[in-house]
Amino acid sequence: MGMRRYIAKRVAHALVVIYIVATIVFFAVRAIPGDPARVLLGGDASAEAIAALREEMGLTEPLYVQYIRWMGRILQGDLGTSVFSDQSVLQMLIGVAEPTLSIAGLGMLIALLIAIPAGITSAVKQYQWEDYVATTVSFIGISMPGFWIGIVLLIIFADRLGWVPAFGYVSFRQGIIPWLKHIILPALAVGLPYGGILMRMTRSSMMEVLNEDYMRTARAKGLDGRLIVFKHGLQNALIPIVTVAGILLGVLLGGVVAVEIVFGIQGLGRLLIASIQRRDFPAIQGAVILISFVFVFMNLLVDVLYTSINPQIKYGGSE
Amino acid sequence: MSSQPRPTQRAGPSVSTTVTEEPPLLAVDNLHTTFTTERGDVPAVDGVSFAINEGEVFGIVGESGSGKSVTALSLLGLADGATVTADRLCFRDEDLLAKDEAALREIRGNDISMIFQDPMSSLNPVMTVGEQIAEVVRHHGDVGESQSLFAELRRKYVTGTSESSASWQRAVELLDTVGIPDPADRANEYPHQLSGGMKQRVMIAQALAGDPDLIIADEPTTALDVTIEAQILNELLDLRDEFGVSIMLITHDLAVVRETCDRVAVMYAGEMMETADTRTLFEDPRHPYTRGLIDSIPRTDDDREWLDAIEGNVPDPTAKPQGCPFRTRCDAAFSLCEEPLVAYSAEEPGHRTWCHLYNDAVANDGDEVQRVDDAEAKQLIQEHEASDDLVTPQRPNFGGEYR
Ligand code: SF4
Repeated sequence: MGMRRYIAKRVAHALVVIYIVATIVFFAVRAIPGDPARVLLGGDASAEAIAALREEMGLTEPLYVQYIRWMGRILQGDLGTSVFSDQSVLQMLIGVAEPTLSIAGLGMLIALLIAIPAGITSAVKQYQWEDYVATTVSFIGISMPGFWIGIVLLIIFADRLGWVPAFGYVSFRQGIIPWLKHIILPALAVGLPYGGILMRMTRSSMMEVLNEDYMRTARAKGLDGRLIVFKHGLQNALIPIVTVAGILLGVLLGGVVAVEIVFGIQGLGRLLIASIQRRDFPAIQGAVILISFVFVFMNLLVDVLYTSINPQIKYGGSE
Repeated sequence: MSSQPRPTQRAGPSVSTTVTEEPPLLAVDNLHTTFTTERGDVPAVDGVSFAINEGEVFGIVGESGSGKSVTALSLLGLADGATVTADRLCFRDEDLLAKDEAALREIRGNDISMIFQDPMSSLNPVMTVGEQIAEVVRHHGDVGESQSLFAELRRKYVTGTSESSASWQRAVELLDTVGIPDPADRANEYPHQLSGGMKQRVMIAQALAGDPDLIIADEPTTALDVTIEAQILNELLDLRDEFGVSIMLITHDLAVVRETCDRVAVMYAGEMMETADTRTLFEDPRHPYTRGLIDSIPRTDDDREWLDAIEGNVPDPTAKPQGCPFRTRCDAAFSLCEEPLVAYSAEEPGHRTWCHLYNDAVANDGDEVQRVDDAEAKQLIQEHEASDDLVTPQRPNFGGEYR
């Protein structure tokens, strides 16, 4: 199967997954106790007023009718309107997705840029000082939750040193430098735990590869050490890491939610939590769909990458 | 050819004989390779001596754990974590022990190349076989293509190896030489797309790519089935005839030795037992171990493992018995066998046996040993040893090659 067909098939597959997630969320939000009309009108609203609002929101209709209507709208690209702010959910999501994706993206970049070289160095210089430094740092990264790293960074770099602002978010449209200054600490906070795990994985994967017979062959050919590591070893070592990096993406996205709260950033995570508290059904559904969308497509990307670095796997085949 | 007469004697301080033979391609004298482990020092190779001449197929035969593979790796500084010493370890009169890592890299692949046992795991799974051969051609250095780290990584990860480059062309030629059909197409394939026999042919092509003088083939056919085995061995012999390359063939299989080798060394527990030309070894084996091995070569209608014929096990290398390592299994063992082994020469030139039965003070008519005079025999052993007592240079430890 060619790469095009493989990707087309995987996209179709991804859409099915998103559809299933959306359906589950639709019913799940309606299963949790509490209803949006009551939350919106406050505790002392009259029963008639609540009933009228429920009617207006379409919540009195049978569940399946609500579901079909909602599906119909989604297929037209309409995620509905927030019951809380009367804003279109799509508009709200676009507003909050940017800070969240900025933090997650930069966090991932930092993690990869630190973890892979550190892991390789660690494996090659096993039991020397480079290895001890790298494994200790990664251990610290793994053992501290992201929001805690965030608080520590906040105290040091924003509060004490004043190098970067402590709170809020500035869009990159207002300048790359201010944007970076606002997201660097949150990105480090989500990136370090992720990078710590990746570094450990890279180290063990590379160590395994260094013991492979084909590495001995490469040495017997008279190639020099760095060439052997980077030409003969690296790609083999990355094969298992790419898979793990994809799975760990979920961990990273989860970390962003807590970190947004620490840094007072209006992101997807905060929107989701606030919407759940308000029983803002359309907003919850929209946010979850967006998250599953990002997750599913990042994993698709990882799979394509995996297939392209491992010649033993054919597109779509599982040899 | 120049009309000048060849110098009859090579310059050198140690040439004292009047014999004007070519010096051997590889001379190994009293090689020791010792691994330091938590359980103590493991002498994997314990005083091995042999020489390989130009254009010769030299067999090293022994059970697994006899130190034959470690011997090969020691030659090229590839025995990780081991201390290698020898009285002499010379390739074309160059002292391999005196070379640093960079100088050894020039030897590896270029002058001495290796073929390993398992072609499935010895080829890199993420590189095309063409590139795996082409990189050796570039390393050999006569195609004028850059082999800097940057150039090699660009080839690997960005551009691929150009099919019109001289190194790739040469790789295709080599695939053709070792009998791979459609070599131009095959060069673009990955190892998993080839059969076991094809993969071993790729390994051979790769070993040839640097135009070496010596190919070390470590159990090259053990992982292959019998019909493929014969093809691969024939291929190696053909290449010897075509390119004049010497081959050091490491095997556990005496039948393979009989088919392919000019001369052979028998190893046991890291030590030499016997060395002779192949014909002499099979017709007139002197060492009890060699005799046991030859007796136990299975006939074609016999499925038994050939080693079953000799009772007992190889000694634990950390606790080797003093003296002859074979004495725990040897039927002929007698009092002198606790003394360290020395080489006893037979009449046939080049036939040497490390067994005290051949001490001059021992009356030995082949089957019956009569201890004539132990004291005299011990004296002879000591004299023998003293004559071999040269300075032993220490080889730097190259453990951890990737730094
Ligand atoms: S030295 Fe002794 S024990 Fe060793 S092979 Fe000869 S006779 Fe047997």
